[in-house]
Amino acid sequence: MITLTINNKEISLEQPMTVLEASRQAGIKIPTLCYFEALKPYGGCRLCVVEVERMPRLQTACTLMVADGMVIQTESDTISEVRRGILEFLLINHPLDCPYCDKAGECELQDLVNKYGPAVGRHKEEKRKVPESHKDQILARNMERCVACTRCVRMCSDVQGASAISMMGRGNDTRMEPFSADSFNCEYCGNCLTVCPVGAILSRLYLHSFRPWQVDREVDTVCSYCGVGCSLTVQVRDDSIKRVIPKEGKGLNKGLLCSRGRFGYEYIGSDDRLTTPLVRKNGKLEPATWTEALEIVADKLQGIRKESGGVSIAGIASPRCSNEDNYLFQKFMRMTCGTNNIDSISRTGYGAAQKYFEDLLGQGITSNLIDGLKNSEAIVVLGGDPTSINPILGLSIREAARRGAQIAVIGNAKGLERFKTLQITAPVFEEAAVLESLLAQVFASKGERGEHAFLDRGIADMAAGTSTVSDVKGLDDLKKILLESPSTSIVFGTDLVQRSDGHRSLFAVSGLTYLLEARLYLLSEKANEQGVIDAGCVPDMLPGGRPLHIEDFKKKFEMLWKDSLPDFKGKTLMEIIEGARTGDIKALYIMGENPVFNLPDAKYVKEALDSLDFLVVQDIFLSETAELADVVLPALGWAERTGTVTNLERRIQVQKKAVETSAGMEDWRIISEISGKMGYKMEYKDSEDIMDELAQVSPLYRDLTYKEIDRGKSIWPYHGEPLRGAEISEIPAGEEVQSGNGADYYLAVDRPLFHSGTLSRRSPALTKIMPEPVLRISAASAEKLGLTDGDRVNVTTSAGSSETVVVVDDSITDNRVYMGNNFKDRGACRLLNFRLDSVTKAPGIEGCGVTIEKR
Amino acid sequence: MAVRFELIMFNETVINEINGIRKKYPDRRSALLPSLYIAQREFGWLSLKAMSCVAKALNLPEADVRGTASFYSMFKHNPVGRNVIQLCTNVSCMILGAEKLVDFLKSKYGVHPNGTSEDGRFSLVIMECIGACGTAPAMLVNTDFHDELSESRIEEILEKYK
Repeated sequence: MITLTINNKEISLEQPMTVLEASRQAGIKIPTLCYFEALKPYGGCRLCVVEVERMPRLQTACTLMVADGMVIQTESDTISEVRRGILEFLLINHPLDCPYCDKAGECELQDLVNKYGPAVGRHKEEKRKVPESHKDQILARNMERCVACTRCVRMCSDVQGASAISMMGRGNDTRMEPFSADSFNCEYCGNCLTVCPVGAILSRLYLHSFRPWQVDREVDTVCSYCGVGCSLTVQVRDDSIKRVIPKEGKGLNKGLLCSRGRFGYEYIGSDDRLTTPLVRKNGKLEPATWTEALEIVADKLQGIRKESGGVSIAGIASPRCSNEDNYLFQKFMRMTCGTNNIDSISRTGYGAAQKYFEDLLGQGITSNLIDGLKNSEAIVVLGGDPTSINPILGLSIREAARRGAQIAVIGNAKGLERFKTLQITAPVFEEAAVLESLLAQVFASKGERGEHAFLDRGIADMAAGTSTVSDVKGLDDLKKILLESPSTSIVFGTDLVQRSDGHRSLFAVSGLTYLLEARLYLLSEKANEQGVIDAGCVPDMLPGGRPLHIEDFKKKFEMLWKDSLPDFKGKTLMEIIEGARTGDIKALYIMGENPVFNLPDAKYVKEALDSLDFLVVQDIFLSETAELADVVLPALGWAERTGTVTNLERRIQVQKKAVETSAGMEDWRIISEISGKMGYKMEYKDSEDIMDELAQVSPLYRDLTYKEIDRGKSIWPYHGEPLRGAEISEIPAGEEVQSGNGADYYLAVDRPLFHSGTLSRRSPALTKIMPEPVLRISAASAEKLGLTDGDRVNVTTSAGSSETVVVVDDSITDNRVYMGNNFKDRGACRLLNFRLDSVTKAPGIEGCGVTIEKR
Repeated sequence: MAVRFELIMFNETVINEINGIRKKYPDRRSALLPSLYIAQREFGWLSLKAMSCVAKALNLPEADVRGTASFYSMFKHNPVGRNVIQLCTNVSCMILGAEKLVDFLKSKYGVHPNGTSEDGRFSLVIMECIGACGTAPAMLVNTDFHDELSESRIEEILEKYK
């Protein structure tokens, strides 16, 4: 116990800390400028000076550790004078342009000068003149205002790990600059904006467009992009989002955001939004009234159900929609339309992996807290780059690396280039073999774990049948790291699922997780990929992951939903598409999804959807899929409606309504209206009402309320429900498959940091950062092809060709080339073929051999 | 979006030299200053490309490299002539006529302080004391030291630098 006195107040502390922290804890304010909670103490600005008894000079509270018996004064005439002096020095160069500066009103320097003075400066010399730099599209840099507190530089290097900016020059000339001196070329997380205490770094998204005190309202909500679910605050004026900011220390992101979360909100106010229902008349989509559109949908679905049965109707749900939307959607499909043909895009990655892992290792195996990652001593990253798919989770990996963890990357993870200890490159189509070899080696050293007999047996069988892949560099080192590490985490990206032998990789990762008692994290591209599964938008499971084929569960739900559930085995996503092509599926209802663009082989998907009798698409934009629909229904987007989402940790959070709009309707409301017209009543006041029902029927969420979620009591396993154990007792066997087709280069779907799906292309800020698709290619491949950065090329596969721009990337070590799936008519998925994985039913990417030609 | 610069690269000998320096220190960052000297030697001055090469060779962030390089006056951030004259104009040198020597360099060789002669032969940097007050005025040409300067002596010395 440490006891000290601050301002005559006695304070007892359990833990050693700095004087500043102790004072803040005791509610005593000490002014600071260079101090920021998430950063290491710096002691640069000297504003936090305090008097300490028996110490000859003033001490900086932010760097001074408390000691037993210390007596401290934080305010006195001397201290005030020193602070005034420091501020006077800062104002030698800081311009007095507050009336013009965006920061005024929330400027730390302004507040400090207001409190401590000086009212007049005594310096007669000219102020430093530096023109404001607008060379970057997103961030404005005003170095006249910079007070050289270095918070931005420390944030960028010590927390974000991007190290894109530095203090350049010295003395009077010191300024923050990116390497290039003009454009930032960085990760555009904008965390430097958060920490800048003055108006030296400003966002150009809202430059000079409002004052901080002119905000109509502030809504604390959750990001709409990836499966991390960062807390953020939306500031609204005149019913339009003015800016998105994080709250210091709040949420699982602790005040940090990524480029998409901070700058990607503009799609909500896009002019391309659907404003009215559309109905196909004489082959053209024409505006219609809600009544007309809803009547048509209800009549058509009713008719098809009567004629061909529920078996011929299917639904595709959305990981962009809320739990409530998805819950109601599957209830509508099952009860109103009488079908189990219901799935989501999650099947192509997250959902397929999640089901496999949970079947083998039990429910909740992937539900681990992101924060725990940084305490791991070894982290294996495979199947995707966490720093671009789930940027904030990626930061935890970087943090772990800083703490000395071993980071092993299998495949490509550009964002971990400076943080990895080891990289393993598995040849294209041999990823599973490499992982199996690793598992066999770990098994050979560790032996059976003895917890699940069938798993031990499965691993032994696999190990016996595996020939060691000897020519892959680094496997032995990785094995050594894994065997020595007391706490291992595996971060699994879903690229590995998209192989027709993806289940082999899944088994190998399950085996490693099991043998090493590792924590398993599953990267999730969209905000509610976990929620869409837990809400029951899968053919074989009811809400809460209850298998439909178990009679007890079925009965329970039939009782709760007051009608009988369809009996047949539902189709998975790609089977639904195939069904549409063959005519087994006659009507398809798509909520918030764009299969034509997001699934491989666009031609095939389009052909399938074209052969449907009836296609309904509910979306916020007229997507490539909506263009084919018979009826298009405009929905409400993020920040326009309230609903819960479940992140990759299985944490439930509420996305709150922030702006009013007259155009669309909530997804769940549209569904309930149609359902009512079809004779199955769904009556709910609001999304909270639906959550109450969901919490009642799904044992997963037992009794969970919005109130509890708001209080943060929504972390897995919500109410301590006992976890479902391993669901199966035998390892599912798949068909033997595929190898490379001897191409020189292979196309892989990239998941860029600045774009996600197709929403981000409607956000001007993100398209400014990344205006068009790029092809990431290794330096060796570029040399062989005679290409350099910025060259325009045609990428051609057997399925088609696309124009793109070359970016030579040193983090790529093999003959893969990476292209994203974000831009209209220029997506990567369109160029790929697929073959279903017989176990997970995820589409395995094939036909990815490419030729690259300079234009 | 990352913009790459057209390829200018260290050759293998230089890479080996830098790797040798790296091994001397427990921390990559400590090898930065000596590596920057090497880059300056190789490329004449520290262009963004040159600093990018250093960053890559040491696996350090580019911004950190430039931040460090921009702090020190011995690194050149603009192209310089084939030979760099660093002339002292501090007290002793000034008293003994260093400023006249600056004028002489201007008129005779067409090189101004912080500038480069048109033929690219000389650049001139005015610097503070180089510790030769007893034999002032003094200058450095590249890394060679010369003192007891006069106009004729400068002429004689610079003959050797083409």
